[in-house]
Order: sequence, then structure tokens, then C-alpha cells
Amino acid sequence: MSKTIGFLLAGVAGGVLSGLFGIGGGTVLIPIFGLLLAFDQHKAQGTSLVALIPPTGLLAVIAYAKSGYVSWLAGILLVPGLFVGGIIGAKIAKRMEPRRMRQVFAVLMFLLGAWEAMGAFRH
Amino acid sequence: MSLAIVSIVILIGLCAGIMVGLLGIGGGIVLVPALVYLLHMDQHMAQGTSLFVLLPPIGLGALLEYRKKGDVDFRAGILCAVGMLVGGYLGGRIAVPMSSDHLKELFGAFLMLSALLLWSKASKKPVPAQPATFEGGS
Repeated sequence: MSKTIGFLLAGVAGGVLSGLFGIGGGTVLIPIFGLLLAFDQHKAQGTSLVALIPPTGLLAVIAYAKSGYVSWLAGILLVPGLFVGGIIGAKIAKRMEPRRMRQVFAVLMFLLGAWEAMGAFRH
Repeated sequence: MSLAIVSIVILIGLCAGIMVGLLGIGGGIVLVPALVYLLHMDQHMAQGTSLFVLLPPIGLGALLEYRKKGDVDFRAGILCAVGMLVGGYLGGRIAVPMSSDHLKELFGAFLMLSALLLWSKASKKPVPAQPATFEGGS
């Protein structure tokens, strides 16, 4: 029971950040699974993908769309590449060792974060 | 939209998709910066578009690959999805009134912080090889 509540709360936390930052939420779920719930990195990533299958961001999209913050055409064009790329990436992931994967993940996020922050400060 | 832009958009999708499979994420952390810097969208537009892109089950193919090795906890995933639906709405309501630059700073800070947490975990000795299992429930 406490685990059930833990998973639900992890979802709410992931959802708030998802809506706030326009991301899928995996970025939040994976650290929660890995660091708080002691999943190994592959299992954390696989489970995060389950949470991302239903259209969990629907209500968030509506909130953005109301203010005109959605580019529908670009959005639709991104979907096929994402789907195919997803399969390619998963095949690569299966061959990697979990600790190495967590490091790849951390480095990538740090670089993207630094890139975003720099962009904001240059304004 | 010109053909060049269309091809760029499709390529962005493919690159972000590889990250989806490789890292088990939705792709938004890659999409948002790519839309801002390569397509010159403002931060809100990039985030809204990213959320829209993530509505279809783009990670399904990737998920099936993980499942082949049993690296999936469906119960945990489904419970999280329920929480995320509600949380996503709250987050969207918070983000929309913010200024684009503030939002961008916050996004960058959030990514760097998560990265540091994960890195510290990855640098420690690996936990005993036995992966945690949560299927039993309690």
C-alpha cells in the first residue's frame, strides 16, 4: 500500500515538472525510481517508458494550447522520427552496463541544462 | 514551412527518439532545447509543442525492447501515469503565466541538478547485482 502511494506521488511530482517544463516526465521519474525506490538503471528507464505511454500530458497540453503555445505542425512532424529513434536507442541501451548508462544520462542532462541556462542569461 | 525546415524537424525527431530509447525518457528534455535553438521558438512555444508531441505513445517501440529483457515494472509505471496526468495540469498552469526567460533558467537549473544527483549515484559502488523487485506489492 505504501508503495502504491509512493508510485502515485512519484507520478504527481513527475507530472508537475512535466507540465512546468514541457518534458515527458521521464527525467523526473528515472531519478525517483533509481535513487528513492532503488530500481537499477535499466529497470528505472523501462518503467519510466510505461508511464509515458498513456497521454499523461493531455491536460498540460490543453493548458498551453489555451494560450496559443503549441506549434501543431512541427509537433506532428516530430512524431515519426521519435518513434523510430526510440527503437534504435533502446537497442543500444540493452548492450550497455547500468552504471555506464546512468553516467551517460547524467552527462547529457547536465549539458542540456547548462545550454538552456546559458541561453537565458545571454538575453 | 519550407522543405529544409521540414527535414530539420524530422531529423530532430529522430535524434530525440534515440534518446527516448537510450535513456527511457519522453524526449522533452532534448526536444525543448532543439526547438528553441534550431527552430527559434520561444520557451513557452517549445514546451507546449514538446508536450503535444509526447501525447502519442512514441516510446512504445522502445518499451517493447526493454520488456524483452524484463527491465519493466508495469505496476509502478501505471500508477505513475495516473499521478502524472494530474500533476501535468498543475505544472502547465504554473508555467503559462511565467516569463519565457525565467522558465528557461528554471528548466536549465532543474536539468543540471538532476544530472548532479544521478552522477553522484552512478559514481558510488554499484548496489549488489540483484535488481530490486516491486511486483509483490504489500
